[in-house]
Amino acid sequence: MILYKTIKFRMTLWYVVILGIILSSFSFFLYFTLADSLYKGVDNKIKTMAEIAVSSARSPLGAGPSMADLDRIMTERFGIKPLGRFIQILDESGRVGGMSTNLRNVKVPLSVQTLQAASKGRTTFETVQVMGKYPLRLVTMPITDNGRMAGIVQVGSPLEEVEEALHQLLFILLIAVPAALLLASAGGLFLANKALRPVDEITQIARRIGSGDLSQRIRIKRVNDELGRLAATFNEMIAKLDESFRRIKRFTADASHELKTPLTILRGEVEVGLKKKRTLQEYQRILNSNLEETNRMSRIVDGLLTLSRADMGELTMEREEVDLSSLAREVWDDLQILARERRVQLSFMDDGFTTVEGDPLFLRQLILNITENGLKYTPAGGEVELRVKGDHDQGVVRIFVSDTGVGIAPKDQKRVFDRFFRADKARSRETGGTGLGLSISQWIARAHDGQITVKSTVGKGSTFTVTLPLKD
Amino acid sequence: MRILVVEDEKKVASFLKKGLEEEYYAVDCAYDGEEALYMVEASDYDLVILDIMLPKIDGLEVLKGVREKGLSLPVLMLTAKDSVEDVVKGLDAGGDDYLTKPFAFAELLARVRALIRRKEREPAGELRVGDLVLDPVSHTVSREGQEIDLTAKEYALLEYLMRHADRVVTRTMISEHVWDYHFDPMTNVIDVYVNHLRKKIDLNSSQGLIHTIRGVGYMLKG
Repeated sequence: MILYKTIKFRMTLWYVVILGIILSSFSFFLYFTLADSLYKGVDNKIKTMAEIAVSSARSPLGAGPSMADLDRIMTERFGIKPLGRFIQILDESGRVGGMSTNLRNVKVPLSVQTLQAASKGRTTFETVQVMGKYPLRLVTMPITDNGRMAGIVQVGSPLEEVEEALHQLLFILLIAVPAALLLASAGGLFLANKALRPVDEITQIARRIGSGDLSQRIRIKRVNDELGRLAATFNEMIAKLDESFRRIKRFTADASHELKTPLTILRGEVEVGLKKKRTLQEYQRILNSNLEETNRMSRIVDGLLTLSRADMGELTMEREEVDLSSLAREVWDDLQILARERRVQLSFMDDGFTTVEGDPLFLRQLILNITENGLKYTPAGGEVELRVKGDHDQGVVRIFVSDTGVGIAPKDQKRVFDRFFRADKARSRETGGTGLGLSISQWIARAHDGQITVKSTVGKGSTFTVTLPLKD
Repeated sequence: MRILVVEDEKKVASFLKKGLEEEYYAVDCAYDGEEALYMVEASDYDLVILDIMLPKIDGLEVLKGVREKGLSLPVLMLTAKDSVEDVVKGLDAGGDDYLTKPFAFAELLARVRALIRRKEREPAGELRVGDLVLDPVSHTVSREGQEIDLTAKEYALLEYLMRHADRVVTRTMISEHVWDYHFDPMTNVIDVYVNHLRKKIDLNSSQGLIHTIRGVGYMLKG
């Protein structure tokens, strides 16, 4: 996987970029606000000092106070010696009249513009480079006497502390911001990695499922977050797929087995029959047997086709009024031959209003299937009863088929409607069953918004009940 | 050679029996697992053809039961299940060969011949004792190049004797491997067949191959 294409990388990148913008803006703001306020503080201080110096210079003491006086004034006014700061007083032509003691060896420049501004009575602030590596902040204030400039006071303060502080801040910011971003990206990547690891796992498992292994599940650690729910949903989906694949596999295996048995008989009998010359009776026996097997295969294929078309929703049900009573009577009539053949008594009863809405052909097949089934599993001398009963109160019609046959074991009762399920394999084949009749019956009942159930006691018999909604 | 066919589908069992009998095998049928287990123990079969899906006891269980009883007779499994897992399961349970339905009858016969040959540790091809030659595929017998016409039972008897050449073969062995369970051991049918066979095989030759071991049985010796 290419890193820059991953979500975690992009997430981290965005996160770091946004954090970077915020941090840098904040740093800029911090730096410039602080610088501004520090410079303003210096300006205010030197201005105050200059004002004091100006006012003292204008005092009746006369022009040209001595430097000792200035130091004294400072000490008097501020209570402390103005360390680092210096004052110098010049006459109107710019010659130095006096200066504070700490300025003894330094020449403070006085530009022409500043002098001109002073002569017009304006105060000028400027930053000049005079000594050392740090610049000097300088205020030049005129001493006016009756609107005329009598001299100039210059107060300077080295910017060493301010610059030092700002440098330090800049240094801290330049180190701290990238470090914070680095940490944030590492942390972000770690978090994104951790949060998205289940996604990678899901991908891997999906890949394995793609190769046919449906037993795989995602291990869920945190159930309640988004990915936990996604993983749980994914697992449920796989389980459903697994189940339906299993069902299809079993169904295919069953279907192929059901079709292979008659095929084996057809092929085997014909091959053995052709090995040498046979009597006419022998050939007739083989052909009859083959016909029987061919018929059985056709019935299985028909049943499979019906069910698969039903599964695909391709079978359309007619919706017309059908009187189940007369339909059941027809079935009962048709099955009399089979009943006599098997020496089973088949009786019919109907009761009440039994009209439903549905497809007469399918409903007929439903009644035929379960009644025929009852006949096949009832030994000679037994009874099968077909009963149709309308229940107006519950709004349903019920069809009961009760037999006195072999019955179905409780564990098999649920499965009798499964395709190709046979409680007794040998008996079912001997009676010519395809193993699909009850599945088809169940589908028909459900397609009519009804249901089919079975109650049975082994050795006593079974009752199949079809419940269909009454037509009102 | 006597074969037990275990198959619940009556028609399949029936054509298997018929087809195999026409190949001079003695064939018995069992229709469920229980019956199969009983019959395998009761008689000495040379081969079992076993369906896997059986009522009462499943074919694989029958196979395990047979092997647990210490019987090493070859078992050819016959089933509609043809997935790899099913084949592996069947062979691991003690099956010797596997054939899926529907099968070609000729293939079944070839596999039966191969399994019996393996059981008797014989090389493929014709059986020979002296100048007597028997071809188990075409079922022809000849001596000194002269083809001999035999009935089904005579052929089966001779095949059994040739597979056990130079060894004494008792009447019980013959009855168990050449006849099916309908055989009545109280009759002298075996002696009658041996005499018929001896007439056809030894009559035109100076050297007699079938020797009578008094009170025990017979021996074929070149």
